[in-house]
Amino acid sequence: MCVLRSVRHLSLVIAAMLLAGQPSRSQELTFETHVRPILKAHCFDCHGAEEELKGKLDLRLVRLMIKGGESGTAIEPGKPDASLFLRRIKSGEMPPGQTKVSAREVELLEKWIAAGAKTTRAEPTEIGKGLGITEEERSFWAFRPVIRPAVPQWKNPKLEARSSVDVFVLAKLQERDLSFGREAEKGTLLKRAYFDLLGLPPSHNEVEDFVNDNEPDAYERVIDRLLASPHYGERWGRHWLDAAGYADSDGYSNADVDRPWAYKYRDWVIRALNDDKPIDEFIVEQLAGDEFLNGKFANLSPSEIDRLTATGFLRMVSDGTSDGSVDQDLAKNAVVAETLKMVSSSLLGLTVGCAQCHDHRYDPISQVDYYRLRAIFEPSLNWKRWQGRLKTLYTDADRTASAAIEADVAKVAAQKDTKQTEYMAKALELELAKHPEELRGKLRDAYNTAADKRTPEQQQLLKERPSVNISPGVLYQYLPKEADELKGFDTRMAEMRAKKPVEEFLHCLAEEDGEPPPTHLFHRGDHRQPKDIVKAAMLEIATPPGQLIEFPVNDPAINSTGRRLAFAKHLVSGRDPLLPRALANRLWMHHFGRGLVGTPGDFGQLGERPTHPELLDWLASEMIERRETRVESEGNSAAPSQLSFKRLHRLLMTSTVYRQSAARRPELDAVDPSNLLLGRMSVRRLEAEVMRDRVLAASGSLSNAMFGKSISVAEDFVGQVIVNDMSRRSIYVQQKRSKPETLMRAFDAPVMECNCDKRPASTVATQSLMLMNSEFALKQAGSLAARVRQEAATWRDAELARHANEGLETPPTSDHPLARRAGELDRSLLPPRPSDLWQIGYGEFDDSTKRTKSFAKFPHWTGSQWQGGPVVPDPAIGYSFLNAAGGHTGNDQQHSPIRRWTAPIGGTVSISGSLHHPSENGDGVRSRVVSSRSGLAAEWIAEHKTVDANVAAIEVQAGDTLDFITDCRESVTSDSFAWSITIKLKGTDGKEVAWAADKGFPGQPAPPLTNQIAAVWQIAYHRPITPSEFAAVCGFFRQQFATLTEISSGTDPELQALTDLCQALLTSNEFLYVD
Amino acid sequence: MPDNFGRLRPTRRELLANGTLGIGGVALAWLLNQENLLAVPPTVKLKPQSFDLKPKQASGEAKARAMISLFMHGGPAHMDLLDPKPELTKFNGTDYPGEVVYSFVNRASKKLLGSPFQFVKHGDCGTEVSELLPHTAQVVDDLCVIRSMHSGHNGHEVSIRYWQAGIPAVTGRPTLGAWLTYALGSESQSLPAYMVLSDPGGHPVDGVLNWSNGFMPPLFQGTVLRAQEPRILNLDPPPHLKGSLQAQNLDLLRVLNRRHLELHPGEADLEARIQSYELAARMQTAAKEALDLSQETEETQKLYGLDKNETREYGTRCLIARRLVERGVRFVQLFLAGQPWDNHTNIRTALPAVCKQTDQPAAALVTDLKRRGLLDSTIVHWGGEIGRLPVTEGDPATCGRDHNGQGFSTWLAGGGIKPGMTFGETDEFGHRAVKDIVTANDFQATLLHQFGLDHSKLAYIHNGQEQTLTAKRECRVVREILA
Repeated sequence: MCVLRSVRHLSLVIAAMLLAGQPSRSQELTFETHVRPILKAHCFDCHGAEEELKGKLDLRLVRLMIKGGESGTAIEPGKPDASLFLRRIKSGEMPPGQTKVSAREVELLEKWIAAGAKTTRAEPTEIGKGLGITEEERSFWAFRPVIRPAVPQWKNPKLEARSSVDVFVLAKLQERDLSFGREAEKGTLLKRAYFDLLGLPPSHNEVEDFVNDNEPDAYERVIDRLLASPHYGERWGRHWLDAAGYADSDGYSNADVDRPWAYKYRDWVIRALNDDKPIDEFIVEQLAGDEFLNGKFANLSPSEIDRLTATGFLRMVSDGTSDGSVDQDLAKNAVVAETLKMVSSSLLGLTVGCAQCHDHRYDPISQVDYYRLRAIFEPSLNWKRWQGRLKTLYTDADRTASAAIEADVAKVAAQKDTKQTEYMAKALELELAKHPEELRGKLRDAYNTAADKRTPEQQQLLKERPSVNISPGVLYQYLPKEADELKGFDTRMAEMRAKKPVEEFLHCLAEEDGEPPPTHLFHRGDHRQPKDIVKAAMLEIATPPGQLIEFPVNDPAINSTGRRLAFAKHLVSGRDPLLPRALANRLWMHHFGRGLVGTPGDFGQLGERPTHPELLDWLASEMIERRETRVESEGNSAAPSQLSFKRLHRLLMTSTVYRQSAARRPELDAVDPSNLLLGRMSVRRLEAEVMRDRVLAASGSLSNAMFGKSISVAEDFVGQVIVNDMSRRSIYVQQKRSKPETLMRAFDAPVMECNCDKRPASTVATQSLMLMNSEFALKQAGSLAARVRQEAATWRDAELARHANEGLETPPTSDHPLARRAGELDRSLLPPRPSDLWQIGYGEFDDSTKRTKSFAKFPHWTGSQWQGGPVVPDPAIGYSFLNAAGGHTGNDQQHSPIRRWTAPIGGTVSISGSLHHPSENGDGVRSRVVSSRSGLAAEWIAEHKTVDANVAAIEVQAGDTLDFITDCRESVTSDSFAWSITIKLKGTDGKEVAWAADKGFPGQPAPPLTNQIAAVWQIAYHRPITPSEFAAVCGFFRQQFATLTEISSGTDPELQALTDLCQALLTSNEFLYVD
Repeated sequence: MPDNFGRLRPTRRELLANGTLGIGGVALAWLLNQENLLAVPPTVKLKPQSFDLKPKQASGEAKARAMISLFMHGGPAHMDLLDPKPELTKFNGTDYPGEVVYSFVNRASKKLLGSPFQFVKHGDCGTEVSELLPHTAQVVDDLCVIRSMHSGHNGHEVSIRYWQAGIPAVTGRPTLGAWLTYALGSESQSLPAYMVLSDPGGHPVDGVLNWSNGFMPPLFQGTVLRAQEPRILNLDPPPHLKGSLQAQNLDLLRVLNRRHLELHPGEADLEARIQSYELAARMQTAAKEALDLSQETEETQKLYGLDKNETREYGTRCLIARRLVERGVRFVQLFLAGQPWDNHTNIRTALPAVCKQTDQPAAALVTDLKRRGLLDSTIVHWGGEIGRLPVTEGDPATCGRDHNGQGFSTWLAGGGIKPGMTFGETDEFGHRAVKDIVTANDFQATLLHQFGLDHSKLAYIHNGQEQTLTAKRECRVVREILA
């Protein structure tokens, strides 16, 4: 075990080293490489970062350390014991506070001093303010310029590498003598592609078509089709909304005010992706769409609306400014800080938040850098002159149209007023007529006097006779027709007003014209302590040395400052190293489950290193081309835009690396159990929204509707947050920060504190409880069962058999359950249903033989009764019909309705019941019981009354039938009847079983259960059921039936068992995970 | 994975897969902490991809294994309850001699308000307790009353977040309960590790943030036990699946999942989901049993005040809390709706009312845990996020007291906390903590210490940054109050 383990570890080391993609380190310790990072984390705050040096000690250079401070020299090269600096650290005196230098770090410092306190290169003679940026920091992978790497050579050209992507991955694998795994099964690949690009399952036909499509480009065509689907934008829009921190409410305080118009930004994202908006425009419009409008935010054209909507991106973070009970200055500054956090983690792949209060401890991001970024946003997020978030879409034309309609309405209102006055006067007279004549004049005067002008006498009079105080509301009591006429006016006015253009808003950021505010560096991040003024600029580390990229203070060409526009254009210019890598990594992460950098929001020192740095840079260079190539491609109108997300999806998804099976291989697991080398695909749990959508799609409840106001959520009676309209895709469900939808939250949908870089995939018991018992799970399982019952009827036996054969794990044999005819299978699967014993038809009793002469089943089922055709009387069968309680006789003896019961076992039958002829007309009906073995057993006539219909004993053998025939006698009129029948069969074993005819009345037969089960498998799993699964399901059905029959719950046991089967599938791992 | 010297360390997942370290072997946090040996992190971060609630051993010596926190929202008036101030009574009606830190300046006054309530010494320890807390007074020998709590902020939310999650005002961080369950898992594999007992009147101020998992996975979020049946959502099968039907459904599901796992050998997540169904099934009976108070004797029910209208509801929850920790739940927190202790007005009537509701059940919890031998290993906490000012707020006849984050009182019992003592002092009027100040971070460090956890080392890597409950803020374990 021990030996094995160490071997395994050795291979791990090697794997990790090659993954690191960095040159092997020299063991010589140097200040720049090994020591400075420790000092930066622990010491520079007081000894270097700020002009004021504690103890006058500056630790930024070795020579300054040697020079020392108030307490003398800090280090003596070669003599760790004599170095005050080290002693202070070792004693725990330094640094002050909780965080101490770790033992390993101390050891390293000690070794470095002992080895002579070496530096990599000669130290500068001059050093400016602050920490500056070292060469080591500049050479960190994330800050290097993106230079398109050459595609590597690989050893075995026969191996399948479809694109440069594959070559990069393969090169890493081959260094370890590994290669790609086999390609995934077609069905698996199709599901993977559907869930990845659409977040929805393929339909049955789509699976069929693909599996049967043997053309070499079948898969590529599927990808193209999916990329053209409008559902692509919904799926990938959700990814982007995570990065943007999309929410339909403000958060920040308990008030959690709704954002009724945020959805327009969500819809913008979906449309932009579906339209394959070029990547640079996609970014620029979200950061600065408003700046294209040149300060004009009224009477917007569709393209202007589009650009302004995009800036919703910058209005997504939690925002306390709408809640008057919170500290507004604090809330406004929090919005700015959170927006910077969101922008930097989503677009720059950096966490800049900590530089709000002090220089970043690990990354070369100074506090000044942070406020430079802030200055980009401060003109639009100016906490001293805060701007609202809503812009009306009402145009002047809308206002004119609206005013015109109001004017027309006013005319109608005036007409109504005239009429109303007239009718009220009439009504008053009608009322007055009920009062003594001598009072009428006084009452009329009192009524017609304004309430506040009435004399006490008048008031008294009206008080005594309140009925005179008539109002328009009681007009209908006097003049109903006239009241209706008035109501007609109201309806008309409402109809007219409904034609007014509806006022809509955008939840957006729109920088107004005006003097841009100065941006101050806040001491310790406290907005109440403003210090130096800082100019808008790009992070220094992301620009070439000595070439700080500043943004305009106020662009004279446009009505806004132009800062965000300049910033955005810089990000997509090809000169910025951060955005292209961040985007490329995000794209990779969503396709493969893990980014090439595992920390998509942090490419800094504390983040992870790229597993495939060259591949990342190659993809980044595909993301944002260099300016020169852009110009070239623009000149060539035939070439599609290179800056296309869809092109990149296609590139990644058609690669060999993407098409691999998820199967683990021992040789791969031994080296790379976490699949960092991508020698296979990873198994992934569906994200919350995809899971929910997949359930809805399976149950047949999912609507195709896109866009629009968010579907509201509410707490149900037990406090779960549920969606009011279950049919819509999850992306349209209201994202209320204080009320996350229970199901999706449980499956790790983010509650946007700020934004979400990466979702966890948790596995907890409460999720299981939800899948077992929640109303959602139960309801959707029920819907799937209902769907299956209906749809399975349309499936042909032949098709089923073919599916069955495809699903076989071993070659089909004749005794394979699915190889037999479906109808027969049900018998083997289920105990007999009560309705199986009954057949409903018509025929004739032969008086001479005392036996049934003919029997034929009724051809038509109405949902409650069997009859000759859709209409009664049927041209051929006449009035004859039967339902659970009774029926109607035929027009002649040949068409007498017959219930036929088949004895399941032999024994003695007794019959109890009553025959009822309700009509007072006609000559009543005659009913007979006829045994197939012994002929007529009993006969009764009911004429305008009820008679008992009992039979003491009939001997039967298994398979014998008893016919319950009713005829019309002589007269064919008024022959409705009710016949209650209960059969008791005492078997030869002495056991007694009873059947009631109404309970066992057979309706339209359900499709064979086998078809239903096969259909469930296809709908939920998109593949045929296998024999071993079928055997398990059979066992399950028998057991479930036995239990359900035992407890006789009153539910339809067959439907209940089917529903339970559906729930098991919808909550199983094959459903919740994709591979 | 190599560290900076190219030495190799497998990821946690690999360790688990390899079987070299059982999950229960070492608290995850320690693994993570060991990794961070240099300011420069390892080349590929050893970030765990999956988490669980299996019980984990703390590295230090653990005195406590469970905690019940009776969170007293709103700021209980310490000078009327646990911190007698004779000087305040003496100078009643005169001006406070120094600067007062107000929240509501428009209603502010500097007039001192002596406590309208009497204090008497109780127990062998002789701790003075207000007449409003007669039952608490009876268990005072088991309590450590801290009179020098300090949040430094007067606002409710600001202080609540500090108290629950380590940094004033900042949201998005895991709470104490989340940290405890992250570090130690649960001793019960049939009940959630971290449970919140909410009030029938609704959520407390700051709502769900009070039991947030913050940047940790939702696994470590508090599970809210509702104020009425059903106390756990989705716990019961629907009526038509009761009995063996659901068990048969789960059998089928297991068959399907096992078959799927066979086709995907080695996928730990798939295995974990199979197990989570099994835990869920166990929870259905275990949680039901835990919440069944009819198993308690009449005497116990009376002890908690279940026989009286004013104490029945809170008493029920205190009794449930005891039953939960008895069954291995790690952290239970009780809240009151809104903030009944926020007595800005009518303190003379409002304060006695909320004391009546909570005093007997809180004291009963201590008594009951003690006689069952559970108090040694269970910390009981009673206290809020702030206290109240010694000066009047509003009209003297109907006056109350304003917020005070500068000094207030809390009590702790059990779990290795020294019983029968008071600790710390406020000034002579009770405005500011002046001696042995205990901040929220000190408090958190001390509690973690009792669980055998070091607050500076118990870390979670979030966005590549090492996060701790006390957020590396200056703080200490308050050793003076440890037994």
